[in-house]
Amino acid sequence: MTTTLSSRHPGVLATSPAVEVSLAEPRGRLSLRARGDLTPFARVLGFALPERIGQRAEEHDIRAIRLGPDEWTLNTPMAAVQRLLEAFAAIYPDHPHSLVDISGREVSLVIEGAQASDLLSIGCARDVEAIPAGEGRRTMFDGTTVVLWKDAADSYRLDIWNSFAPHVLDLLKTGCAELAAEARQA
Amino acid sequence: MSQFRVAGRGRINSGRRVRFTFDGKEYSGLEGDTIASALLANGVHLVGRSFKYHRPRGILSAGSEEPNAIVGTSRGAGRYEPNTRATVQEIWKGLTVTSQNKYPSLKFDIGAVNDAAYMLFSAGFYYKTFMWPKAFWHKVYEPFIRAAAGMGVSPSEPDPDTYASRYLHCDLLVVGSGPAGLAAARVGAEAGLRVVLVDENAEAGGTLLSEPQAQINGQQAWDWLAAELAGLKAKGVRIMTRTTAIGYYHQNMVGLCEKLTDHLDVLPKDMPRERLWRVRAKRVVLAQGALEKPLVFHGNDRPGVMLAGAAQTYLNRYGVKAGHRPVVLTSHDSAWYAAFDLEDAGAKVAAIADTRPAVRGDLIAEAGKRGIPVLLSHTATTTSGRLRISSITLAVVKDGKTGPETRYACDCLLMSGGWTPSLHLFSHTQGKLAWDENQNTFLPGFTQENCGIAGAGRGLWGIEAALADGLERGREAAAALGRSVDAAPVRVENDRTGTGVSHTELPTRRDAGKNKSFVDFQNDVTAKDLRLAVKEGMRSIEHVKRYTTNGMATDQGKLSNINGLNIAAEALGKEAPKVGLTTFRPPYTPTTFGTFCGYHRGSHFEVTRKTNIDSWAEENGAVFEPVGQWRRAWYFPKAGEDMDAAVLRECRATRAGVGIFDASTLGKIEVVGPDAAEFMNRMYTNPWTKLMPGRCRYGLLLGEDGHIRDDGVIGRMAQDRFHVTTTTGGAARVLNMMEDYLQTEWPDLQVWLTSTTEQWSTIALNGPDAAKLLAPLVEGVTLTEEAFPHMSCVECTVAGMPARLFRVSFTGEIGFEVNVPAYLGRALWDVLWEVGQPLGITAYGTETMHVLRAEKGYIIVGQDTDGTVTPGDAGLSWAVGTKKRDFVGMRGMARPDLVAPGRKQLVGLLTEDRSRLEEGAQIVFDPNQPIPMTMAGHVTSSYHSDAVGRPIALALVAGGHERMGETVYIPMPDRTIAAQITSTVFVDPENARLKI
Repeated sequence: MTTTLSSRHPGVLATSPAVEVSLAEPRGRLSLRARGDLTPFARVLGFALPERIGQRAEEHDIRAIRLGPDEWTLNTPMAAVQRLLEAFAAIYPDHPHSLVDISGREVSLVIEGAQASDLLSIGCARDVEAIPAGEGRRTMFDGTTVVLWKDAADSYRLDIWNSFAPHVLDLLKTGCAELAAEARQA
Repeated sequence: MSQFRVAGRGRINSGRRVRFTFDGKEYSGLEGDTIASALLANGVHLVGRSFKYHRPRGILSAGSEEPNAIVGTSRGAGRYEPNTRATVQEIWKGLTVTSQNKYPSLKFDIGAVNDAAYMLFSAGFYYKTFMWPKAFWHKVYEPFIRAAAGMGVSPSEPDPDTYASRYLHCDLLVVGSGPAGLAAARVGAEAGLRVVLVDENAEAGGTLLSEPQAQINGQQAWDWLAAELAGLKAKGVRIMTRTTAIGYYHQNMVGLCEKLTDHLDVLPKDMPRERLWRVRAKRVVLAQGALEKPLVFHGNDRPGVMLAGAAQTYLNRYGVKAGHRPVVLTSHDSAWYAAFDLEDAGAKVAAIADTRPAVRGDLIAEAGKRGIPVLLSHTATTTSGRLRISSITLAVVKDGKTGPETRYACDCLLMSGGWTPSLHLFSHTQGKLAWDENQNTFLPGFTQENCGIAGAGRGLWGIEAALADGLERGREAAAALGRSVDAAPVRVENDRTGTGVSHTELPTRRDAGKNKSFVDFQNDVTAKDLRLAVKEGMRSIEHVKRYTTNGMATDQGKLSNINGLNIAAEALGKEAPKVGLTTFRPPYTPTTFGTFCGYHRGSHFEVTRKTNIDSWAEENGAVFEPVGQWRRAWYFPKAGEDMDAAVLRECRATRAGVGIFDASTLGKIEVVGPDAAEFMNRMYTNPWTKLMPGRCRYGLLLGEDGHIRDDGVIGRMAQDRFHVTTTTGGAARVLNMMEDYLQTEWPDLQVWLTSTTEQWSTIALNGPDAAKLLAPLVEGVTLTEEAFPHMSCVECTVAGMPARLFRVSFTGEIGFEVNVPAYLGRALWDVLWEVGQPLGITAYGTETMHVLRAEKGYIIVGQDTDGTVTPGDAGLSWAVGTKKRDFVGMRGMARPDLVAPGRKQLVGLLTEDRSRLEEGAQIVFDPNQPIPMTMAGHVTSSYHSDAVGRPIALALVAGGHERMGETVYIPMPDRTIAAQITSTVFVDPENARLKI
């Protein structure tokens, strides 16, 4: 694994008969930290921030996931980042918070197909099938911290820091080959 | 069909013929055979030599508990496996099997002299024999013990197979697919639970595979089994065969080892050999059954001596007769059925000898019907036959006295000493065992885990009892998960229920002191050894075990532990539970290292983090070094250059023109919030309140103990926003430490921390031409001394890319660090590289970075500090805010030890002979003092310095700051080097070179 993923074009990276791993389009990512009254942030975003850890909310292609008691990640179109930074800065004096651009920090891998959960089970200790579709979790995959977005029963996204992504992808590729071998065997 | 394969018997008779070799000789078996069943079908009982006495040994069991039939298997280069159990490994076309512990051949073995000299090899013989003379230890005893120790031959080639692992979550995990396990799984499935059923055998069914005579709900056992398995699958039960539950860990985490390819003649592409499953089950039912106990008597280890239940399995499952003329020796009803089955299959049973004075009338009648002689109240006193049993000597026991002996010719002996519940996994849960007086064995008692034990595993006997118990345990599991389900009882006819008694060593009229009555077949431990251990003072079973090695072989005493305990207890005159049972530990059966390694080998062994600029380094021939999890470019050798030459060129070019360095791995933390400055004041030694936005400061981080933990340059990007950098290796640790304080000590502070290490690619430009190179590319700030002085920071664009630009220097030259979003790192590097060509831009690696910083006396935390160095020791007192009220480590710094004179302090060293010191070398003040000398410190950093024109070093020396100009000595193996203590700053102490 020599190349970093953020320099690669989005597209399919590994396949198996019943699952596919691909690199997602680059997205804007903002880490929001705040406490107390959250309504000012809802006004800026146009929707309320999710209340329970692991819950998500989405409006106009801006997705928010709650990762901690005072922590959310906003996943946005690249073009929206600057606008959001400015809009949040405008309310900062009255509603102190931290908003940090982490668009460059991570890449996202999309794992889709009937065996998506099986593929994740080679590196994720969580019961991913038990996570409701439309939610997400910060968890570990093969020793690496990832944010797992479950979009549907057979569709997941993994947010991974740049330098860990090749390691994660390497295992996912091995897993795809293994699932393919199993399919041939069956 | 061989003369031992019985037509119409077994489950594999329709299988393909499979050829394999054993010790070079070709044999044929049927698909589905184990090595053991195939060899037995060929009339082969002799499969190995024992470990200590090299006694000929045969096949004792038909399962994973086998202690004797341990062989080497191979499928070609790198795929040799020692210590494979012949009773488990299935045969496939081309399998190569070799026997172990033999020289020169299995039938004639020189090591068997150990057997004749057995008196020397009694319990504890290692401890006694190899004591004197002391001088013999290294040259004679140790090599001898090493040569004799260990079973089989370790593989010497890399393993070409791959191994896998997965996590699995379920409501109910059932271990063992015999009647009890099947019943539990059925109830679970009917209750709508996610059920996983695992079995170590190639086929599910357990006992049912060996008892085709049973009628279950009116169906023949195998028909019922097939329908039941199909029904379970249809209900979504995941049935995993060739899958051993190897360990039961906390909170119902059960480890499984699934063997995927060891039974195949052609290895499928990309298919791992084995897979480790980590199962998290809400409930577990252990239905592992019971293991048959051998009887302990003189000569009970000859090839041809087999457990009666095993013989029944070989006959009914594999269609193989263990012999034509067996004798059955038993203390349990179950072995009688083995005799009946074999007789019915055409063998001529020479006798059934039972140790009990009275046996159930129906058994006697069945024996009579078949014309089998029955001997009650009998014991066995010896056996004969060199490579295979040829006779057994039996005698009647009356009023505790052994009567006259009679010899019975036989070609195999089927024995049964009763059954021991398989308690291994239950024992892994730290479960308490309960002694059962009637059965003379331990049964499972209380466990903390959400776990039930079903069937023979808790001392029940018979298929109907096991099925009923399995249903009950399944119902229990379902109820615990809030489900209720009705399961109709299952009716079994032709069920073979039975009871038995337990023995220690069987009575004999011979000298028991000379008996070789084996308890642990694999480690060659006899009843006499156990009694000797007790006689020599061992009281606890744990001591007896270690002294005799009983139960310490690869089978973990599956057959020997309970016999060993009963014999030791008898010798001690105590009840067995007072002597105790040794602890079982995972794994249940021997498991390959590959299974535990899983995917983590070769390039995937551990995460290797790479920056976005790493690809350039690779393309340009960098040599890399690991720094924490990162791999970093160490130096960039040109053709013909070694490391020293490359580093010298890189240093010289940077000091003369401009060098470019990938500093992306530096840890970065964004500290944001109204209390950001207050937080920084509390964390770092330095004052931050007055630092203006747009300015940077060197920050020093201590632990509560006052010792240096980390450092880095910190820029104030805005009033409420700091861009903190940490050391490469310290990034995660520092963030955790900060979060820890924030969450536990200062939750009132309005400040938040975000890791931005990977948000940015960081490129350092250093050298007199650095500003010249960068200035034309920068928009938003002018790179002059006035507009952007040393220790400034700004958000701007560089080559059109959004950037955070820092003017900092870790080299003593004019220096910049350009941060751009990580994905732009390589693009920016390429631009700078191209624009820098006219200036002779030179890429440098971590080694040059180390040299250049050492020339300026800049420390590297973790190299020049070792966790006991204070700011004062490191000459960094200037970085400690003296007017601050508090910061982490402030009170620690005032501890008496930390202000005492004579502490090791960081100084520079110049050697008198201009040689380069070794990093880590110890320093003394007086080279002529007697050995052991008093160490005064050690060398922390040492390099050849082009700028100074000689090697330089940094060192921690006791009271070093007061010893400027003094000479210290560095004793090396070949000579002692003298060096002068100097300042740590070797180049440009006035910092004149920092100015644009």
